[in-house]
Amino acid sequence: MIMKGQKRKPPPEEVEVSDRSSPMWESQRQFVFSVSLNKYHHGQELPEPSLRRSVLIANTLRQVSLEAFAAPSVDMEMSPPPCSSSSALHESVVTAKQHPAETFSALVSCPTVTLNDLSYCVPASNAPLSLKDEDEDWGSMSMDSDFSLSAAISSILTALDSTIDSSSQAAPRTPLRSLENLSAPSDGGVAWVKQGLRGYGGGWEQQEEGRAWESSTELMRCSYLSELTVEDLFQDIDTSLLERDMEVLGLIGSGGGCLTGDDLLRYLPPFSSSPPSHPFSLSLNQNLKCLPSLSSFGPLSSSSSLPSLSSPHFSSQNHVREGLDLEHLMEILVES
Amino acid sequence: MLSPIQVLCSDITTLSLEPEPFASYTEADIISTVEFNHTGELLATGDKGGRVVIFQREPESKCEPFSQGEYNVYSTFQSHEPEFDYLKSLEIEEKINKIRWLPQQNAAHFLLSTNDKTIKLWKVSERDKRPEGYNLKDEEGRIKDLSTITSLQVPVLMPMDLMVEVSPRRVFANAHTYHVNSISVNSDYQTYMSADDLRINLWHLDITDRSFNIVDIKPANMEDLTEVITAAEFHPHHCNLFVYSSSKGTLRLCDMREAALCDKHSKLFEEPEDPSARSFFSEIISSVSDVKFSHSGRYLLTRDYLTAKVWDLNMESKPLETYQVHDYLRSKLCSLYENDCIFDKFECAWNGSDSVIMTGAYNNFFRMFDRNTKRDVTLEASRESSKPRAVLKPRRVCAAGGKRRKDDISVDSLDFTKKILHTAWHPTENIIAIAATNNLYIFQDKLNSELH
Repeated sequence: MIMKGQKRKPPPEEVEVSDRSSPMWESQRQFVFSVSLNKYHHGQELPEPSLRRSVLIANTLRQVSLEAFAAPSVDMEMSPPPCSSSSALHESVVTAKQHPAETFSALVSCPTVTLNDLSYCVPASNAPLSLKDEDEDWGSMSMDSDFSLSAAISSILTALDSTIDSSSQAAPRTPLRSLENLSAPSDGGVAWVKQGLRGYGGGWEQQEEGRAWESSTELMRCSYLSELTVEDLFQDIDTSLLERDMEVLGLIGSGGGCLTGDDLLRYLPPFSSSPPSHPFSLSLNQNLKCLPSLSSFGPLSSSSSLPSLSSPHFSSQNHVREGLDLEHLMEILVES
Repeated sequence: MLSPIQVLCSDITTLSLEPEPFASYTEADIISTVEFNHTGELLATGDKGGRVVIFQREPESKCEPFSQGEYNVYSTFQSHEPEFDYLKSLEIEEKINKIRWLPQQNAAHFLLSTNDKTIKLWKVSERDKRPEGYNLKDEEGRIKDLSTITSLQVPVLMPMDLMVEVSPRRVFANAHTYHVNSISVNSDYQTYMSADDLRINLWHLDITDRSFNIVDIKPANMEDLTEVITAAEFHPHHCNLFVYSSSKGTLRLCDMREAALCDKHSKLFEEPEDPSARSFFSEIISSVSDVKFSHSGRYLLTRDYLTAKVWDLNMESKPLETYQVHDYLRSKLCSLYENDCIFDKFECAWNGSDSVIMTGAYNNFFRMFDRNTKRDVTLEASRESSKPRAVLKPRRVCAAGGKRRKDDISVDSLDFTKKILHTAWHPTENIIAIAATNNLYIFQDKLNSELH
């Protein structure tokens, strides 16, 4: 029944359970959820990536999440444990794959992790934990919020997993140089920003926009079904703030509007762990979440030029900048 | 005239073409498509290594009545090579996804073969004569010394050993962002369409530098993508009609006269979901893996993971007939999802008179259903049971816990690595071609052959 050489993980049961109230239904649902998550995550690494397969797995994931939300009782842990390291996160993700029944408890009890570990931080206050208590604040979305949070977290965890797992198609990552060492016309800087933002953009968005209360389906859908183009990325950035500063420094006037990446970075507002009240209006859309995305099946418009941030040598140096470390980026932002 | 009952009740004679026993095969040898031409004289197979092998049926010989109808290798050529997309850092597989023959219009044969990205038109022609007696060249082709030429002769065509020449006549490239899953030649014999996961393009056979996009289901935001195109085919007689199937189990019949872009369907064939049979895998198993018009053009045959369905073009609400291919797998969907078997795409085929349908399954089994008598049979394509001239024995799979007879196979002992995804039926006779991994089996109706 099993393919040769594959380790068999016993499914919760063999019989298809369509009766939701059956106790087996929940365990089967969790099993399907964890398997689907695993599959989607590894789908890009297949020798023959198939869009049909990815779409079907994504739809199954979505359906399973929806059904969990609609289930009468959802057994989930309420209180978050204290901050744990990213290694624990990885462990939890790994164990989730092996112990499907514990997947949700592992995910909902979202540990807070530091950015230094390439993970993302969810302050405890942002996590609506109790199904009962938060009714006034969240209204009928309480169950949504609770489960959507876990769903969001799980999706982001897989994103992190994917960034850490070096997939065969990922460009080799080179360490991020510090800002001072950048040469003046840093053509790859644009990509630098892009990569850095991509890395934790998802998490940032979670915090600042309070999207935890969004429906889980939307999160699921938007976190990994994206077609990121560089143009899209920068269309979202409101550079009005930056342009003002740039003008002050005379950069735009003299340089003819050629904004270099390191300059852009310099003027990004400093990142802090608490959600900024009004960050620079970088309304990162969901496209920036660096989950394995269906965009890999689509056209890559890396050669497209950006409106005011264009650089003639963008694409050539792109891949050099691509593998920049978030840690270093953090340091630079804090410094500036 | 075909008699459908004979196919099922009578014995099946095997004329199998296999490589030598115990030969190990490479992955490049896995057959990925099988297709008869319009007369059935030629059978083309494509494999994962980008090669096409064409078999030709031997003409019937009076002196050897039993050797008539055998298929022998006619030509082999490399159709597609592996490519590398530098922009996306992706390798483009050379695997032949589909082969479609063009109707024969002169002495040469033409076929279309496609991999994930590029479609090619190949000309297959024979050369059995060559000119001899040149004036300026001798028999070996060396230039003759002019002083030795004393008279003029007219070169004469002399018979030679048959040589089959294959040459690429057209290359239709750079029109598909996603993986091409289907090609279909139009009944006007001038155009054809190619379908990938999200788009369908219409080509003219003589024009390679552009194609028309006639279906585009790509959403503006890829985040909203929930459905892909799985197969497409032109109507056999109406050059304006075509059908395409989706991963959600729907079929859309489109009329090219209605609009340039056929995003809006003329008819939508969808069976409402049975709420009692709903499971987590309902959508995946409803994904249509193949769609075929009947020869008459009146019906559609579709294959999803567990069933084969016949639809009447005049009835969109539900299929006319539903045939359970391997319902015993319904309770195993969890495991099949885990090992990815649930994503296998099985093809299906009509017989010449549209009375019998055929499709593949696991364990090298394939199934045939007679639409009139409602009888069905399960047969196995394997080396052990397919000695030449042997008669195929019907097989049976017993569900877990069911009453088990001798020679029955239990569900748990099915080999899921041996899957018959590609099958083809001769356009007029009861001859079927079955691709089992790297082996090609050709079976013929014994009763039918005895009548000749």
